[in-house]
Formats: sequence, C-alpha cells, structure tokens
Amino acid sequence: MIVKQMDVRSNIRKYFDIAYEGEAVIVPRKQDHNVVIISEAEYNKLIQERRLNAYAQAVGGVPDRKKRIISERGSDLRSHNADKLSAIRAFKPGWNGNGAPAFAPGLIDTVGTLIGGLDIQPEVFPTAMGTIQLEYDNSRHDHMEIEIIAGSVDAEVYIIRFNGEEEYEQMSVSADAINKRVHDFYG
Amino acid sequence: MDNEFKSTEKLYRAVYPPEIADMFWKLDGTVSSAAFADPKGLSVDRGDYRSDEDVMSVMRSKFTGHIISVYVKNCFDANALVLYRPSHSNPYHSEIHGSLDRAILSKSQRVHLARCAEILTPRPIN
Repeated sequence: MIVKQMDVRSNIRKYFDIAYEGEAVIVPRKQDHNVVIISEAEYNKLIQERRLNAYAQAVGGVPDRKKRIISERGSDLRSHNADKLSAIRAFKPGWNGNGAPAFAPGLIDTVGTLIGGLDIQPEVFPTAMGTIQLEYDNSRHDHMEIEIIAGSVDAEVYIIRFNGEEEYEQMSVSADAINKRVHDFYG
Repeated sequence: MDNEFKSTEKLYRAVYPPEIADMFWKLDGTVSSAAFADPKGLSVDRGDYRSDEDVMSVMRSKFTGHIISVYVKNCFDANALVLYRPSHSNPYHSEIHGSLDRAILSKSQRVHLARCAEILTPRPIN
C-alpha cells in the first residue's frame, strides 16, 4: 500500500494498525527518500533472513531449507548425528560450565537406535537436563522438537507453527511413532 | 550497575562446550533452542552498553567457545526474567529465568530466544 506522507501524518494510528496486521505501508518522499512502515514481526523476519544470508555468504552457499538439506544430505546427516551422539556420550559432568550431568549411556543407545530407524533425519542436540533434543523445521517455517528423556517410554513433543501457534504432546519413543509424526509434520 | 535492565541492553551467552563448537549449531547457521536450556537458569554477561568487542574480549579471557547475544527486550517479549547476579570474579554476571518460581526457560521461551539470538563469533561450517 502506498500512502502519502500527509495522509500518514493525519491517520497515523490507522496506518500503524495496517502495518501491524502484516501489510507494508510505503510512504513516498521527495528525492526518493521513501520509507516503509512494517510490523515488528515482519522486521524480525527480515533480520533473521539477513543473518541467514550473511551466514550463507560466509560458507559460500545459498541458505537452504531443512527439508532440501535432508533429502540431499540424508545419509551424511545420519552419519553426522551418529558422530554427535558419540561426542555427547563422552561429555563429563559439568560439560555446560554450570553443573549439567553427564548423559546416561542407555539414553545415548536409545537415541542411536532411533536415529538408525528414522526416514527423515533430525538435527540432534544435547540439553543441560541430560535429555536429547531432536529438531525438525519444515518449509512453512514450522518448528518441531522431540525431547528424549532417560528412562522414559514417552518423548515430549513441542511444535511452534509459522503463525506462533504452539502444540504440546507426548508420543512413544519408537522410530515408527516418530516417522509417522515427522511425515505428518512435513505434509 | 543495578537490578534494573532496560530493553535495549544486550546479554551475552557463552555456548559450551568450547571444545566442540558446533554442538548447538543448526544446518541453516542458526543456534538451537537447546543451547538455552539450563535448569539452574541461563547464565549470561550483561552488556551494560559496552561494545560487542569489549564484551567478547573480556569473555574470551576465560572462555574459548562461541558467543551469542540477545537483547533484554527479547527476554521481556517471552515473559522471561532477567536477574542481575554479580559474583566476585564477574561483575557482569546475570541470569535469565523462565519465571519467578521456575529458573529453567520454557520450550516456547527457548525457541523465541534462539530465533532472536545474534551469533557474534565466526560460526562453524557444517
């Protein structure tokens, strides 16, 4: 939407509301010193994209969405995850600099077996609670975390959709259950 | 420095373990929310409006891993608390807590801060 500066000035609340709802308000000015009013959410998205692009330039590539990376690098990622689990297994107590416990060998074994049975590889991360977090991101910018907890038959699932809606659920710690949930997630 | 934090102040977080620098990095170059999980509260150094270079220079004197930053505003937006907890060895030490009665950040708060985080040190290439 293009709006004259004097109209913005006299109806500033109206145009702020329009920007907040997601529509950019372009304000032409003399000598092409134009400005655009956008919401904080849109601004944050732009900043995030800028960071990703800066990262891509630094590593000499174009930022990719996770699913494409997974399909192209699935086998690499499985191997990368196995290496990561080996590193996590070797963590000593206090590995995070703040008294985090070492990881239960049984948990690492469980996650290692899971990884071997997953169709789509997650990214694997340790947490300072002694749990392992599996992460997925889809092309809609939804994000899913599956937290595997030592000694528990259930995993905690957290999903935040692109629009900010959140879902919490539990699922059994099995490759079949995770495969089904992940395929649903990628649609 | 006192217990008051303004939205515009920066908070700096050292990402452990330093010897395995890419442990919390995602394939797209962002940091995982798992780096923001700590049952004792998230230890950070408050910026006190020093330059990034000055802060990192001090942090690097005792830490060799990666450093990320968020704004206090990012914490307030996620309804997290920022507490000033100076120590003898570190006058800038502060903590981010999930709430008054829960030190650990919720999953939602962790994801929010991970998305807002700026990575200040060179990132590893996966």
